[in-house]
Amino acid sequence: MTKSLLPVLTRRTLLASGAAALATPMLMRRAHAEQSLVVADPGGPFTEGYRKAFYEPFTAATGIAINSVARDAEPTAQFKSIVDTKSYIWDVCTITLSARLILEEQGLLEPLNLDATKVSDVMPEAVHPNMLGTDVYSTVLAYNTDTITEAPEGWAAFWDFDKLPGRRSLRKNPIDTLEIALMADGVAPKDLYPLDVDRAFRKLDEIKDKIDVWWTGGAQSTQLLESGEVDMIAGWNARFQAAIDGGAPAKIVWNGGLYSIEGWGVPKGNPKADLARQFVAFCGQAEMQAKFTDDLAYGPTNLRAYDHIEADRAAILPTSPKNLELMSLASEPFWKANRAALTERFNGWLLD
Amino acid sequence: MSASAVVSAPRRFQFGPLWLVLPALALLAVFFIFPLGRLFVLGVQDPGTGALTTEHYARLADTPVYWRILGITFRIAFLTAAFCLLLGYPLALWLSKMDSRRQSLMTLLVLLPFWTSYLVKTFAWMILLGNRGVLNSLLTDTGLLERPMRLMYNELGVIIGMVHAMMPLAVLTMLPVMNSIDNRLSLAAGTMGASRSQRFWLIYFPLSAPGVAAAGLLTFITSLGFFIVPAFLGGRGQTMLAQTIITQVQELVNWSFAAVLASLMVAATLVAIWIYNKFFGLSALSGQAPKVDGTPRGSAALRACGQRVLKDLAWLSSPFDRFASQDPSAKGGFSIYALVAVIFLVAPILVVFPLAFTSASSLQFPPPGYSLRWFEQYFSSPVWLAATLRSFGVAFATAFCATVLGGLAALALARSQSRWNGPIFALMLAPMVVPRIVIAVGLFYLMAQIGLVATNTGLVIGHTLLAIPYCFITIGAVLKSYDWRLNQAAETLGAGRLTILRRITLPLLRGGVISAALFAFVTSFDELTVAIFISGGLKTTLPKQMWDDMFLQLNPTLAAVSVVVLLIVTVILLATRKLQK
Repeated sequence: MTKSLLPVLTRRTLLASGAAALATPMLMRRAHAEQSLVVADPGGPFTEGYRKAFYEPFTAATGIAINSVARDAEPTAQFKSIVDTKSYIWDVCTITLSARLILEEQGLLEPLNLDATKVSDVMPEAVHPNMLGTDVYSTVLAYNTDTITEAPEGWAAFWDFDKLPGRRSLRKNPIDTLEIALMADGVAPKDLYPLDVDRAFRKLDEIKDKIDVWWTGGAQSTQLLESGEVDMIAGWNARFQAAIDGGAPAKIVWNGGLYSIEGWGVPKGNPKADLARQFVAFCGQAEMQAKFTDDLAYGPTNLRAYDHIEADRAAILPTSPKNLELMSLASEPFWKANRAALTERFNGWLLD
Repeated sequence: MSASAVVSAPRRFQFGPLWLVLPALALLAVFFIFPLGRLFVLGVQDPGTGALTTEHYARLADTPVYWRILGITFRIAFLTAAFCLLLGYPLALWLSKMDSRRQSLMTLLVLLPFWTSYLVKTFAWMILLGNRGVLNSLLTDTGLLERPMRLMYNELGVIIGMVHAMMPLAVLTMLPVMNSIDNRLSLAAGTMGASRSQRFWLIYFPLSAPGVAAAGLLTFITSLGFFIVPAFLGGRGQTMLAQTIITQVQELVNWSFAAVLASLMVAATLVAIWIYNKFFGLSALSGQAPKVDGTPRGSAALRACGQRVLKDLAWLSSPFDRFASQDPSAKGGFSIYALVAVIFLVAPILVVFPLAFTSASSLQFPPPGYSLRWFEQYFSSPVWLAATLRSFGVAFATAFCATVLGGLAALALARSQSRWNGPIFALMLAPMVVPRIVIAVGLFYLMAQIGLVATNTGLVIGHTLLAIPYCFITIGAVLKSYDWRLNQAAETLGAGRLTILRRITLPLLRGGVISAALFAFVTSFDELTVAIFISGGLKTTLPKQMWDDMFLQLNPTLAAVSVVVLLIVTVILLATRKLQK
């Protein structure tokens, strides 16, 4: 086991901004070297952001080494296998609210026993007995400022081809897409759930043939906006921010956005559960969460984090107060109950 | 009474050559049939109680959308296979007419797209075919088009992407068969007055048919399991079955229904193979020695039909004979086609190169400026380097194991007349038919229990499983034209079995064996799904690392990695070229 972890240790070590700075404390803490956690994050910029925000500060504070690995895009199947076969290759893993419900139902999550006083500043939607949300992502509208000269105010504008002609793209998935249709049809965000599915499909019928691209992967949505392939697109804010950071002439519309939460969960029966809990609780702190916003355009769940974030950066984060008030929380329980059936109906509708 | 005694005695005896298939069978039994069996049991089990139930299948029957998706999957796979054969046959023919030196050089070009990850190829096509893509910009800027054409996000885009991905496989399957055709036969026919068309359609084409059948089957079956290309290049009407299986496993965590869909896919494919077998006499592909009377069972009428069609084709094309006179320069048109086909195969890679040297941090095309920063990033990253090394190691090991196991199995079936040939043949192809996600999930389950997850051995086993069918078919196709009398001749001269294998069989099959090893190498090198599960995030291979990066941020490091991989692989290919001669 130690041997198989070696490459990861090397990777972590060398990736650190200052290898020398890191080497010294590691020598000092050799006594604790056997204490370590394998943490699965989504990889890429997440690893970078979490390293600064969570992994390094946690190791500095406790002496427990963190080895990060990249998890699969949808880790629920892997999670299930890990628990079922008791091969705990990960000690902690990031999961979404919807994954939490699935994993909870199947009894695959370890309780976190969070100290309520320590997470009192965290958004209540992010605190669960078996998951602590650390970042908020949001489904929003983005548009190309070169071709769409008048800023769209909400989802109704997406349907308005007379006023705002241009190529459109939606996600090839009923989740969020049905909500978007209902909001475009005039349903207030607070009245969305339970979704009036028939009404949503009727509204989608209006623009079905005018959607140029049904995107499937997050990176694809970045590329669609960046390359000017489409002029208006619904998708995740950080993906669009990546295009904007890369110089694309685009803007995000927060109005009518749907947000959701991602955070840490621990596989059931993990022998290192106590260490894992310690790590998860650590990630609830405001100062730590503020640090990942340098690399990730996601919102901290601990709203006190904004005390440590500059105003420019805060403006593009989903949980900054100005943006948050324009958006609503997507209902995971609704989707948990209806996802399979609605996915089938949506796929059938697409083929018609 | 006596009849049964006669049958049973030879049956035991006939198992003789089949022992060669045992190593491959053992591997398949433990790491393929067993885990899949457990998965399929899920399809008829209640997830809570474990009791037998038909509810999952009832749901399938009640939901027409899956049948439509199955139809779409078949249509796309069929079109892909048809275009691969149609476009690939002339290319393979062109290659086979070259001297071996030029041939292997050109084959290298045909192979190039094969070495680029599916992910990168798909994104390259997005850059080429987009509304503001390279092609459309070219056409509108030169005034050839008023408005951009819709080249992707529809069926056309999917077919382009899939044909591009599968055509090298088709060409490489047909080429060894074409190479082994004795050109003097056509020559002889010519001296007896056969026209050019007749020589081609009545002599050459039937001789190349085993290669065509193999290529068609391979591309069709492989295409059935595609999910990356339809997801990225397709529109709302292009959803394939593999995508729905992945959704069930990864998003809905409904393994019961995923198992049902996987079973549906396997069943549908088996039916397709069976039909194919009936119509095209595919049993020949398994390397079975030709029947004494020369006609596959029950298909004499079909065969006559085929002959008729070929004669008609010869007659139809005969008026064009005079355009292709004896003048060698008349080959010009043919060469131009082949060059266009090669450009089609290489074009996406031409896009990847400039992107690797871009100064921008996006995949903007053409790049605003040039720099080496992405190569620096690659070479200074121990993560990328470790993944690259691991991928090469795993791919080499896979190529070796799969070629040996698949080759022995092909040899066994070619020599055996056993009634087990059919089932064994089907089993050897099965890993290709079952969606990789299903194999990966089943394997993960098993390997986690025996401690093979996050090991290189686990990766090699998983990849060998996937590569065996390719090796089996490729070597089986060359064995088809192998003259077994050579073995008898050697035996009469006192050579032992091993000597025959080493001095006669292997040298004659060299082209096929090396093709098989290359297939296996590529299969492993470009494999993502099994790697995602078996690497456990700890033993990362190159495609897994690219996937991790790509899923979150598309940056030109991917292009830089692709370029480096291409260069290294080109060197390897040039080295195997020496061997192949």
